[in-house]
Amino acid sequence: MNASTETPSPNRPRRTRRALLWAALVGLLLVAQTLLVALTLSYESSRAQDEADAVAGEAAAEIKRDLLRTMQALQALMWGEPLLQHWADSATELMRGHRELMRVERRDRQLAVTEAVDTPLGQPLFKQMARSDLQVDTEVACAAALRMAAPTFSRSYFVPLTGGHGHEVVDLCVPVKNAGQDAGYLVGTFALSQLLDAAMSQRQGRQHELSFVEGDGTRLARAGLARGVGVYQAERLVDLPGVSLQLRADSIKGRPSLIPNLATALVLGLSIALFAVVLLLARDVRRRARAESALAEALAFRKAMEDSLITGLRARDLGGRITYVNPAFCAMVGFSVEEMAQEPPPYWPPEHAEFYAERQRNRLLGVGRETSEAREGFESVFVRKNGERFPVMIYEAPLVDGQGRHTGWMSAVLDVSAQHRIEEFSRQQQDRLQATARLATVGEMASLLSHELNQPLAAIASYASGSLNLLDDGDEATPEMLRQALDRIAEQADRAGRIIKSVHHFVRRREQQRETIAADLLIDAVLPLVRLQARKSGTRIEIDIASAAPRAESPPTTRVPRVVCDRTMLEQVLLNLTRNGIQAMETETPLDERVLHIRVRQSHARWVTFIVADAGPGIAPEVAAQLFTPFYTTRSEGMGLGLSLCRTVIEQHGGALDFGPGPHGRGTEFRFTLPAPKTADSGETSVSLNA
Amino acid sequence: MALDPALGIPVVYLVDDEDVVRDALAWLLRSRRLLSEGFGSAEAFEAFLAERREPWPGSPSCLLLDVRMPGTSGLVLFERLVERPWPATLPVIFLTGHGDVPTAVAAVKRGAFDFVEKPFSNNTLVDRVELALQASAEAIVRRRAAAAVGQALAELTEREREVMQLVIDGRPNKSIADVLAISVRTVEVHRARVFEKMNVKSAVELANLLRESNA
Repeated sequence: MNASTETPSPNRPRRTRRALLWAALVGLLLVAQTLLVALTLSYESSRAQDEADAVAGEAAAEIKRDLLRTMQALQALMWGEPLLQHWADSATELMRGHRELMRVERRDRQLAVTEAVDTPLGQPLFKQMARSDLQVDTEVACAAALRMAAPTFSRSYFVPLTGGHGHEVVDLCVPVKNAGQDAGYLVGTFALSQLLDAAMSQRQGRQHELSFVEGDGTRLARAGLARGVGVYQAERLVDLPGVSLQLRADSIKGRPSLIPNLATALVLGLSIALFAVVLLLARDVRRRARAESALAEALAFRKAMEDSLITGLRARDLGGRITYVNPAFCAMVGFSVEEMAQEPPPYWPPEHAEFYAERQRNRLLGVGRETSEAREGFESVFVRKNGERFPVMIYEAPLVDGQGRHTGWMSAVLDVSAQHRIEEFSRQQQDRLQATARLATVGEMASLLSHELNQPLAAIASYASGSLNLLDDGDEATPEMLRQALDRIAEQADRAGRIIKSVHHFVRRREQQRETIAADLLIDAVLPLVRLQARKSGTRIEIDIASAAPRAESPPTTRVPRVVCDRTMLEQVLLNLTRNGIQAMETETPLDERVLHIRVRQSHARWVTFIVADAGPGIAPEVAAQLFTPFYTTRSEGMGLGLSLCRTVIEQHGGALDFGPGPHGRGTEFRFTLPAPKTADSGETSVSLNA
Repeated sequence: MALDPALGIPVVYLVDDEDVVRDALAWLLRSRRLLSEGFGSAEAFEAFLAERREPWPGSPSCLLLDVRMPGTSGLVLFERLVERPWPATLPVIFLTGHGDVPTAVAAVKRGAFDFVEKPFSNNTLVDRVELALQASAEAIVRRRAAAAVGQALAELTEREREVMQLVIDGRPNKSIADVLAISVRTVEVHRARVFEKMNVKSAVELANLLRESNA
């Protein structure tokens, strides 16, 4: 219930904060991914460039080394004036070892070809075109060689072959000296493509394309398994005597593409995000599980609580249909949950159903309902399944769901029939006790009453007997005497009747009621019984009723304090106190001092004090301590209920009963207060005293 | 029952604090032709007694006494009567209320004539009163007889009184003569004079008379 009524407002900043956090996380991830991609790209390109540079450098060095080695081998061919046949074999052998060497020629001083050997590993070079047509560059090189007296390379030139193929070649012209005389030239022809193939390792060949290019970018020869894409290129000059060849290494890798890297980055980022989400989810699941177990516990707790309640619970939606009842409510009315679903509810007494429906409509729709009403609840009457009507106390509170919507009313229903029974029983007991106490008082007074009744009865009997005597034995005075006797008989019968009436009036059980009554009337009502007790011991009764708040403009005697009280009960209190006072004076007090004072004073605007004062020996401390203990008595015939009951009665009226020694330390005073009627000015409520 | 009119008019004294009861009883007694005198309290009756001259009462009387009264109660008054020389000629009948029976019974044991429980059957009460008056009358007769015997005894000489005492003791004349050291003849003379003065005819009669007068 409580959780569902929680308002959403405190959630808003938290949600915003959470969204901000998420956005920041995503932003950071994006930046990181972008940086990662950028770094990856730049790293890849620099690496490809470096690789191309390295390949170019290595290849250039290799080519140069290869050429120089071959050049030395060519020079070695001419050492010692070898025989022609021998030279040709050596040349062939040399070419077998160097694939790039396509042809070796011996020329004389006039550059005419004297001997020529073609490579055994391939087609002869000058098959398509004659050597003579393609020897301009060779001649230039040989001239340079002669001039330099060192081997010199010619410029490269293209030698076409059959089938559209051909080789870009360079010639190496080695001047041959014989005994310090120029003896001719040795010319070796190198195929550039073969040079590249020889210089290039397998690894390099897979990754790069090597080529010789001219200054304008024309490719002379190439090697490599794949073509370069022209993004990462490195060029090196291969400086040879007579000629410089430009070597280019071109990586097959193109510009690093963004997409695969981006995809990688995305996958990575998403993985991270996923991981984070999984973590969060796991945490959430754990929390959820905890919450669920707590909820289950709370539910079990609530269920146990509901089942253990003796208070009936009933929930109704806004249409008045019952949505929930607890077992206590079912037990209370005796209907099952299913039976309770019908309309109108079976626990409404049929005779009140219409009124209840109307009331329910008002209640359920009542928007301006005071919460205090729900707090204080209202009383109603339900009917059990067996038809028994019983009073209930209903407390209602609005039902609010998790979204804060008002969905109905929850009522707590208390069966107050037992309480009512107890209250009624208690009231009856109290009444009975009062009545018993009155009877007990009368019982204690029984001997007194019998004596009192005996007097008139004895007199009546005497007159009756005497009259009979006179009738038997009459004389002239008889009629006069009879008249006298009959008068007396009537008189005494009347007196006996009055006594009986006063006792009956006292004993009769009346409903408790508060009335406003003048103090003198209250005292007058018990005075016959008081005097009856007083007469035996010769006690005088003196009554002193002070005027209430006397004022100058009205004679004080017209005002008598008035009290609000239950007349019967107060009469009993007065009777008890006066009897106690009279009995206290019976033994030790001299006859002329036996005076019982009854004083009434308006002691306060709202209180009237009654004082019953005797001139007896006073109350011993050990007796005083137990004076108000029920059933404590110092008299053999007493029940001991008197004073404790008096105090109860006075306290029920809101007053107080106490006692103490009389004004001169003699006798005992019993004082009690009674509330005065509540009026604007108690002084105005005067009652004329028939003085 | 008739009383000897020679003894005087019988009087019933009523002591009760209740005027009504007193008046009613007086009226009832009057209907039986009995005179009564009422007192409202024990004190009043005691004051009345104090003024009486002995021997009192001179006529048959009885006292109807209420046990419970304010001031001096009936019982206290009765105790005082018992303590002072209480005339046997004034029998006391207690009027008791409910619950006073044991004290009344005790009073009867101490010499009260009777008690009547209230509410009483009136004529029974009057019958009791008459019995009491009868007893009172007898007491008066006895008192008068005793007074007469006393007077006769006063007239006897010393010797005659000695002789009478020995006669009452039942001694024969001879023995009396021996005791008193006089002659038998003289004893006979004294004896005859004693009989004459005491107005008796035999020694037995003389003994009864003396016993009754001393009772």
